[in-house]
Order: sequence, then C-alpha cells, then structure tokens
Amino acid sequence: MSNENPLSPHIQIYSWNISLLISISRRIIGVINIAALTLICLWIVLLLLGEENYEYIKFFLQSFLGKFLILGLTWSFSFQILSEIRHLFWDFGYGFELITSKITGLIVIFGSIVLTILIYLSSKQIF
Amino acid sequence: MINATKKWIFLKVSSIILIPLMFWFIINLVLIYDKGYVDIVNFFSTQPSKFLTSLLMIVAFFYSSLSISEIFEDYIHDEKIKNVANKAITIFAIIIPLITIIIIFNLTL
Repeated sequence: MSNENPLSPHIQIYSWNISLLISISRRIIGVINIAALTLICLWIVLLLLGEENYEYIKFFLQSFLGKFLILGLTWSFSFQILSEIRHLFWDFGYGFELITSKITGLIVIFGSIVLTILIYLSSKQIF
Repeated sequence: MINATKKWIFLKVSSIILIPLMFWFIINLVLIYDKGYVDIVNFFSTQPSKFLTSLLMIVAFFYSSLSISEIFEDYIHDEKIKNVANKAITIFAIIIPLITIIIIFNLTL
C-alpha cells in the first residue's frame, strides 16, 4: 500500500518564523558542509600531484572566488557549530520556551556572522 | 534498545565530538588555505593536525550519513529508492574519509 502521508517538514504550509528558518537552514547547510568537506578531501588528494601542479590550485584559492568560498565555508561551519550547540541545550531540556527559542535562533544567525568575521580577521592577524 | 534510540545517541555523541573539531579546523583552514604547497603539506603531515583532520573526516562523514538518512526518511516515500539512497550515502561516508586518511598518512615533502 502506498504511503500518502505529506512530506516533512511542511514548509509550504506553516508560516515562517525563526525556528522554522533555522531548522530548514540547518539541514541545507549540513548538506553544503559535507559537500565542502568532500571538496577539502579532494584538495588533500590533489596534494599528491606535487608542488608544480599545486600552483594552479593556489592561484584559484588566492583569487576573489577562492577567498569568497573560504569565507562562505567559515560562515556555514560557524552556523552549524552554533546550531549544534543550540540543539545540545535542547537535548538537556533547556531553551524550549518560545522567547528563549527565538533568542537562541537569533544568536545562531547573528552569532555565525560575528564568528565568521572574528575567525577571518584573526587569521589575517588584524587583531 | 531500539534502532532509532541508538541512531539518536550516535548523532548526539558525534555532534559533541564534531563541534570543537569543526572550530579547530575552520580556524586553521582560514590560516593556511592561501599558503604555498610546502606549508599545506607541512600542516597536514605533522601532528596534531594529521590526527585531528583524520578524526574530523571520520566523525563528520559518519554524522552526515546519519543526518542525511533522516532527510531521506522525511522526503523519500519509495522504500526501495530510500534503501538504495541510504546504502549509497553509507558507502560514500566510508570511502571518502578512508582515501583522505590514507593520503594524509602518506604525505611527505
């Protein structure tokens, strides 16, 4: 017998709120992060090609697109780190109140941006 | 213990391990990504980077295969397609980190 249950989560039915936004973003960013980690694995594999051939990869990574990709990856990692911490608090029974859930959702969104800036600036030894 | 509970525990334990590893890796990645070949190989071929990167790959792909199988559970109705997708993601989550770790442990200047 075929299962006619609706697909989950029902993003086309519920009105948008912070928790819904974080929930669906967490899934999408989780998939993006594993795709990015697969590319990092490929980057490590390409090291086997030797120093001369690595110059092409270095040229790409030093380009605007390369820097943009690294900055994007820093944000997606930061977002996942913060949203995982939020979920762990939930697992221990904290933060379920509506207002707390909204505040922690905002912390994940804005905190990930702040964390990205801090990581990027500290790597460039700006402070 | 039922399978769903085991899966939940595995997800939570790997998540706890993953948080500091991701933080460590992204800081170091931003530090080295635009450096030369020698610096990159030095980073991946010396401890503790060699061990921590390998651990990150194992835990991240393990965690992702569990998480993505949940997404399949939510969005794929056909049981056959779901089983094939789950098997494919499990094989992917074993092979990619395995190859990467073998290369990391064989990297030399």
